[in-house]
Amino acid sequence: MSWSTDVFVVDDVNYRYLERFVALAGVSLTVRAGERVALLGANGCGKSTMLKLLAGLIVPERGTVHAFGTELTEAVLDDDQFGRAFRARVGFVFQSSDAQLFSPTVRDEVSFGPLHLGFECSEVEQRVDDVLALLDIAELAERAPYQLSGGEKKRVAIASVLVTNPDVLLFDEPTAGLDPRTQEWFLDLVVELHRAGKTIVCATHDLAALDRLADRCVVFSEEHRIVGAGSPAEILADVSLLESANLAHVHAHRHHDRVHTHRHDLDHHETECEHR
Amino acid sequence: MTTPAWLVEPEARMGPCACCGRRTKGDFVEKTIAGAGRVLRATMFSSDLAGEDGYLQRADARVKVGSALALLLVAAFTRHVSVLVGLYTSTVLAASASRVPARFLVRRVWLFVPLFTAVVALPAALSVITPGHIVVPLGTWFGTPLGLTAQGLTAAALIVMRAATSISVVVLLTITTPWPRLLSALRSLRVPRAFVLVLGLAYRYLFHLLTSITDMYEARKARAPRDHDLVRGRAFVAATAGATFGKAHALSEEVYLAMVARGYRGQATAIDRRPLGAIDLLVFSAVVAVTLLAIGVDHVVVH
Repeated sequence: MSWSTDVFVVDDVNYRYLERFVALAGVSLTVRAGERVALLGANGCGKSTMLKLLAGLIVPERGTVHAFGTELTEAVLDDDQFGRAFRARVGFVFQSSDAQLFSPTVRDEVSFGPLHLGFECSEVEQRVDDVLALLDIAELAERAPYQLSGGEKKRVAIASVLVTNPDVLLFDEPTAGLDPRTQEWFLDLVVELHRAGKTIVCATHDLAALDRLADRCVVFSEEHRIVGAGSPAEILADVSLLESANLAHVHAHRHHDRVHTHRHDLDHHETECEHR
Repeated sequence: MTTPAWLVEPEARMGPCACCGRRTKGDFVEKTIAGAGRVLRATMFSSDLAGEDGYLQRADARVKVGSALALLLVAAFTRHVSVLVGLYTSTVLAASASRVPARFLVRRVWLFVPLFTAVVALPAALSVITPGHIVVPLGTWFGTPLGLTAQGLTAAALIVMRAATSISVVVLLTITTPWPRLLSALRSLRVPRAFVLVLGLAYRYLFHLLTSITDMYEARKARAPRDHDLVRGRAFVAATAGATFGKAHALSEEVYLAMVARGYRGQATAIDRRPLGAIDLLVFSAVVAVTLLAIGVDHVVVH
């Protein structure tokens, strides 16, 4: 293992909820610095659990998770110095913006992270103003989260994480439930963040956005194991892998007097059908 | 996937889509949900008022909280009704000067006053509780004249006006101060930060869960005709409460993880910003003047 480039090393990890429901079964994964990795899989396959493990919010029942060369255990995460440094370096954007936005106003929300990580008040105020301007939500600063639309909530959630300038960004289903314009905005942001040298890990089943979200994809099966890995192009070309992971299915429909079948995912439908 | 035969046939049991059924008003579930909706609207209206450009809205929340505490203490220790009437009037005038509709404030206050004071104040006016000169005779009780005494009515008026003034001060404070600023002011006044954090979270998620309850009710309404059976109504309320409790529990775990992910380690931290300005001095001076005047007049009138 090369700790200088490996941000996360997950080795043979098992995790169950309530000691009953399997979420991960013998999963191993390495994320290198500056990489964009997409965790692909159907609903309930363990992608979100993997992100929580990487974020040090839960610890595995069996196996190990190393971050920046240190094994993540409850004792290590409870260590004041390590805990603070780790939280500052790893930012997690939850799938549910409502869970992530818990403060009375947007400004309080965005300042929560840096204040709890020990930043000076004047620096926090400056950073909050900067990040609100960057994400084009400065006018929302004094608004309450319940007054925001879904897209605005997502922007605030991202701002609340970006404000600490983490090295690693973990996104759980970032494009789910967003309108097309906000999705585009988010994909552009990921490209920008990657260009700035951030390591990005996304849990998603949005195959259409894959080439802009990731350099490398890891496919989870419905049995909570990793069943494939490769570049977006390689993964999208592997029909049987996508079908077995419930990420694509064969679809039959009629064109005038003729029924034909093809893969039903991303924009394959349009390209296939245009010629008929 | 095979579609069952009954799903592809038109439903034979459907009645005509015409208005010929019995029409009834909403049941207790509907009224409760409608009440929750009204709470949301009232809160929206209050937050609009807090955003107005009035004197009180521009004043710092710390000054307002301190002033409200001072006025509450004065109202609690004042011994003469006329002084309380003066204090109450000054709150209505302050509301009007701050673009808060006086009628809105008066209605809000007098909605609560009978609730909080009627039980205590009305018996106090009776001659059996407060002996004195009977001004409203009500008959006899075991041979003794029964009625409302002048002393009893004075005592009742004192209780009612004390409650009205106190509620008016608190309502004025809460409708002219955005909730986040109020929380920030509480922190400045040395209220434990963890307590303020919990208050903020409770307020934040109250709306989320209220919306969730309204959605559940509307989902039920969309699928079933209005049901007037009380037992089924209670069962629905119990099921909704259970489901909401489950959602709240799951949400609380996610929220906690979201806090931990951003560095929360059991110690709440927040920025208490904004220096005091001229408007704060003005509000503070006005409150000090009213407070001193009330104490002085009360002292003179009593002696």
